[in-house]
Amino acid sequence: MDFELTEDQETIRKAVAGLLRDFDDRYWMEKDRDHAFPEEFYAAVADGGWLGITIPEEYGGHGLGITEATLLLEEVARSGGGMNAASAIHMSIFGMHPVVVHGSDELKRRTLPRIARGDLHVCFGVTEPGAGLDTTSITTYARRAGDHYVVSGRKVWISKALESEKILLLTRTAKRDEVEKPTDGMTLFLTDLDRDRVDIRPIPKMGRNAVSSNEVFIDDLRVPVEDRVGEEGQGFRYLLDGLNPERMLIAAEALGIGRVALDRAVRYGREREVFGRPIGMNQGIQFPLADALAHLDAAELVLRKATWLYDQGRPCGREANTAKYLCADAGFTAADRALQTHGGMGYSEEYPVARFFREARLMLIAPVSQEMVLNYLGSHTLGLPRSY
Amino acid sequence: MERDEFTLVRDMLRAFATRFRSGSADDVKAQTRTDAQRALDELGLSGLRRTSPPAATVQECALLAEEHGRQPLTTSLLGTALLAPELLRLLDLGERAEPVHGDRPTVALAGDLRFPDRDAVGLVAWDCDGADTALFVHAEGRVTEHELGTPAPTADLLRGVRRASAEGRPVGRLTPGAHQRWQAYALVVVASELVGAARSFVEQSVDYARERHQYGQPIGSFQAVQHQLADATVLVEACTSATRYAAWCLDSETPGRALTAARVAKAEVNSSAVEAVYAGMQVFGGIAQTWEHVAHLYLRRVLVGATTLATTADLLTVLAAPEATR
Repeated sequence: MDFELTEDQETIRKAVAGLLRDFDDRYWMEKDRDHAFPEEFYAAVADGGWLGITIPEEYGGHGLGITEATLLLEEVARSGGGMNAASAIHMSIFGMHPVVVHGSDELKRRTLPRIARGDLHVCFGVTEPGAGLDTTSITTYARRAGDHYVVSGRKVWISKALESEKILLLTRTAKRDEVEKPTDGMTLFLTDLDRDRVDIRPIPKMGRNAVSSNEVFIDDLRVPVEDRVGEEGQGFRYLLDGLNPERMLIAAEALGIGRVALDRAVRYGREREVFGRPIGMNQGIQFPLADALAHLDAAELVLRKATWLYDQGRPCGREANTAKYLCADAGFTAADRALQTHGGMGYSEEYPVARFFREARLMLIAPVSQEMVLNYLGSHTLGLPRSY
Repeated sequence: MERDEFTLVRDMLRAFATRFRSGSADDVKAQTRTDAQRALDELGLSGLRRTSPPAATVQECALLAEEHGRQPLTTSLLGTALLAPELLRLLDLGERAEPVHGDRPTVALAGDLRFPDRDAVGLVAWDCDGADTALFVHAEGRVTEHELGTPAPTADLLRGVRRASAEGRPVGRLTPGAHQRWQAYALVVVASELVGAARSFVEQSVDYARERHQYGQPIGSFQAVQHQLADATVLVEACTSATRYAAWCLDSETPGRALTAARVAKAEVNSSAVEAVYAGMQVFGGIAQTWEHVAHLYLRRVLVGATTLATTADLLTVLAAPEATR
């Protein structure tokens, strides 16, 4: 066993931490408060060449693995930017995986270099009002008409749709009751969000307000055949390839938030004096923080194992799900304890822990709820009967 | 009962408990069990609800069960003095077919100590110290009287449990309302004893945290210990309230409402009493892991108690169902 990061991986951590040092608490507080996309942060990450970290070198990226991608996003969240920072670049970092693996060369040449450079924002259009995690129940329909498709339907919880030029869009090209398996008949596109045909409405929400989450109404959107990813009817299978890395990235982001929240709590615990001594001297403060540290460390190890397995080309469903489950829990617990440590000040937006708390809470729900992770582990790993 | 009268009864039971408590598992011997049971029988508590209307309320009986649970006692208060007499009283309110043969019956339960379902097998006479027969309430409300057999294994070193004969003599049948009342009463009485055990054990661990010194100060001065005991106290209060409310419902409400309250109480006790005893054991540290210490007697009582009559899973499933179908 080897627990060391490679020199390159260490470099990534340090370089990213250094790059983001200038984006301080005030910057993120204001972006969150004003619901403003963090353009300056995004530009800095793009200029640093980090957006294309997993995009193949022939398309202008670095061709690195998920281990490096998770280190990057963990550091981004840990910088104090939390989910606002991570979500601003999350899709660019690994969201294009189905296109990289299954897209035509022409589609890749047309899109991937622009993503690596940072001048193409994309969003991910899968979930619908009637189909959250039950993906095969989506009803957004793509009808073939000569050299293009006509797409209509409604998507919900589409992060960054407002800021995006293109959408990686999952549709049905055959209805669920017309196909043998419910996972058949689904087709994936990477296409323009033509604002004449697509209405995007941000959803008011609890946190991560610098990056929008949207309802997307699609009305007869014309999609050229060239924008189709891979074969018609195979879209669900293409998406599956990306689910485990997605869980790992989210786990890394949750871990990063937990780390920064804990750092801030420790700092406050040392500085803040009540009853003539630092509050961190109280076991009631110290122990919950020590407990949070232990859980973050344990969760991190599972995440590292999951990304290592994936980069080795080995099965990693159990580890990816477990990493998401433990990191989300550890990250939220650390943020919650950090807020409690700050007492009344934790509730004020003057300190960043309230923002970390709101953002960390999201990870218990997205991109897959803790309960669905348990469903996976219960049925796939333990072999118990499927409960849903 | 008048307040003074009840206080007198409770103090009598308290004095008995102080005298006959087991100081350790090694004190649990056949002769001491017999002596303790005889002393308890002499208090005459089986007659508490024999008169019409009963002299003691359910709330008073529940408080006595709490009192009994506070000390590690081998005696059968629940089975022979509270549960079986109440079952006979409820039968008499309907139409009892046959007199019972036993002078001092206890109650029988399914082999897994739960309320029976339709195919209950391997009956056991529960809490049977001093008992000569056992009354079994079938799933549909029929009541039969069973002979006692050999001792049955149980993890609760204090509680007497024996196998009961498979065939029983018919005694009568509970009306549906009386059946609900019986189940509610049994849940409340058993829960009360566990509440008493948890409360007493947490109090003992608080005393220990005051006396035991480490690093030159009582361990109770450490917040981590203090907070754990405070949490345990909250748990004890939660299950106490739920159980006393259920007892009040039996005195004041319809059988259906009382049964619901009793199920809630037992579900609360099943988790809270066990958690509270865990916390107390953590405070006692290594000493609580020894055979000589009473901690395991309490732990065994609450762990087995949490599965007696109804497990949390049994209760939550029923409570989750629409009220009309319970």
